[in-house]
Amino acid sequence: MSDVVAATPYRLVRAAPMRRAGEAVAAWLLVAPAVIAFLLMLLIPTLAMVALAFTDFELGRTSFRWIGLENFSELLEDRGFRQSVQNTVLYVAFVTPLSILGGLGLAMLIEAGLRGRTFFRAAFFLPVVSLMVAMATAWQYLMHPTIGPVNNLLRSIGFAGPNWLGSSDWVLISLGLIGIWENVGFNMVLILAGLTAIPRDLYAAAEVDGATSAWERFRLVTWPLLGPTMLFVIIITTIRSIRTFDTVATLTQGGPNKASELIVWTIYQEGFTFLRMGYGAAVTVVFLIVVLGLMLLQMRLVERRVHYG
Amino acid sequence: MSGIEVDKVTKSYGVVTALDDVSLKVAPGEFVSLVGPSGCGKTTLMKIIAGLDRADDGRVSIADRDVSKLGAADRDVAMVFQNYALYPHLTARQNIAVPLVMRTMTAAQRLPFIGGFVPGTGERRSTIRREVEQTAELLAIGHLLERKPAQLSGGQRQRVALARAIVRRPLAFLMDEPLSNLDASLRVQTRKEIVDLHRRVGASTIYVTHDQAEAMTMSDRVAVMMEGKILQLGTPEEIYLDPWDLRVAAFVGSPRINALPADVDTDGQVRVDGVPMDVTSRVRGRVTLAVRAEDLALVRADGLPATIEHVEFLGEAVLLHARHAMSGALLIARLERDHRHRLPRGGAVHFRPKPDRVFLFDEAGRRVTRVQPTGAVGRETALV
Repeated sequence: MSDVVAATPYRLVRAAPMRRAGEAVAAWLLVAPAVIAFLLMLLIPTLAMVALAFTDFELGRTSFRWIGLENFSELLEDRGFRQSVQNTVLYVAFVTPLSILGGLGLAMLIEAGLRGRTFFRAAFFLPVVSLMVAMATAWQYLMHPTIGPVNNLLRSIGFAGPNWLGSSDWVLISLGLIGIWENVGFNMVLILAGLTAIPRDLYAAAEVDGATSAWERFRLVTWPLLGPTMLFVIIITTIRSIRTFDTVATLTQGGPNKASELIVWTIYQEGFTFLRMGYGAAVTVVFLIVVLGLMLLQMRLVERRVHYG
Repeated sequence: MSGIEVDKVTKSYGVVTALDDVSLKVAPGEFVSLVGPSGCGKTTLMKIIAGLDRADDGRVSIADRDVSKLGAADRDVAMVFQNYALYPHLTARQNIAVPLVMRTMTAAQRLPFIGGFVPGTGERRSTIRREVEQTAELLAIGHLLERKPAQLSGGQRQRVALARAIVRRPLAFLMDEPLSNLDASLRVQTRKEIVDLHRRVGASTIYVTHDQAEAMTMSDRVAVMMEGKILQLGTPEEIYLDPWDLRVAAFVGSPRINALPADVDTDGQVRVDGVPMDVTSRVRGRVTLAVRAEDLALVRADGLPATIEHVEFLGEAVLLHARHAMSGALLIARLERDHRHRLPRGGAVHFRPKPDRVFLFDEAGRRVTRVQPTGAVGRETALV
């Protein structure tokens, strides 16, 4: 359909080659700011980073050598890197589904609720607009093993709470819980927007058609029509949880014993603490490829099942 | 049999009264239109009948069963929505099947994959398939069944929506402005198809529309609603020829009925700006005289003086728009086509309403029942 529409004006333009050239210049001028910004801010830095990954460049040194794939072969043997990848996979697998389901649940509750919609919406959205670094301090206190309210509460009902951020068994879960808290409100707002876009008449039709329970109406109307929103939510949440950095940096610094090393923290360490820019760039390249691959896979898988109204 | 009965239904949203003590009885198999301007409560009434909204007070019965407390799913009515309300992710076939699937298959049978192993699922599915195809044939959309709503034209979506409504043979049909999203020519064509469909299916139908022409052409009876009340319920003929309320008279018919302020003197003689009309009234004082465009005749003199503003050529007739000299009201007369050459813009004409076709309304807009034509029929033959 769109091909036909596009083809028609084109033929008209061809009749006047002068005007066509003028239009092309105007078009390039109009997109120039966006193109320049994209080149300067995204494409060139990314390419530079990819180039760096094949060097032994260290920050502060004046010269570097091309070392080919050396950085990458070092990566494969680096136990720290492998640990970091493993942690990140676990973290994403924990945070993404739970914060999406949580966001969906909250959105449905708020949508169905009669009172306090604005309040709840704002309350759950708060983590998104607040500064994570500041919020981390609050979490540090909440999760403190001896004076933290969480463990106090657990103690009062007879459980000995773990050392949330200090034990290598628990630290990833604790960070994950904070990540869920951070993402759930964001997802809720996106899903709420998706919910309001569903025509009310469809629910009326579903009711008349015999969908008696709320679950049946959810299956028949809400879930399928939320498809495009959910695709976006899944992708954005995956990206957001893969690149978690601030909680690691402020609360655990990857510890104890690398149990909370996530990939972005590793990149930061290599590049800015050990100043090994080349090696850091190599980690980033791997990270970038994995993220891109993941996105493409998700788009392929989900898009086939998504209906765009 | 399966009639619909609405008994003293009241509904308000906050301070706004949407329905004020509305009662309505639809006979089995009857086609009744609810017509009125937007905000008159017609859609609210339909939603209450469908069970999509609850009345504050009053009863709704379908097929002699009180359904006031039941939800929409348990009322066994089908509804056609203004924007069709098709499920966009399902094909036409699946859309039409939804009411059957939801009502005749158990939750276990409906499960994807697993449902296939529940006893009876296969037979059920093939019955549904057959019924969907039969209904699709009836509406001539058999070749469109595998398409999704986005791939269908407005008229085709409309048919799918109708098919979804009739596929399970409900007790009653409710249609909420089903034609208003179609273009003009398709709308007129679809009117007839809906009437035909109604005759074949035979269930009581309530049809909501703001288009009086639609209501008048399709219905057995028409309910004219305004401000949350049914002003008049009657056959299209009754509504047109015997309106009980000035608002009904004004709403129904095109062009709009001519309405002029008039006085009734102590003898019962009706005068418009002192000009005696050929009718008398038993009600005295100020009234509104209303007469339809086709019942306004041209006379040489002794009529209502007016200045020609515009002549509209309709083909089979002309509509003469002229400004009444005294009241400044616009009068519209439907005249024979041949008159058009004798009606220059700015020219003076005299009108005289046909006495037996004049309606008088009191100051509250209620029809003054007894209007006595006083003879003098010969006068209207004279011309400019």
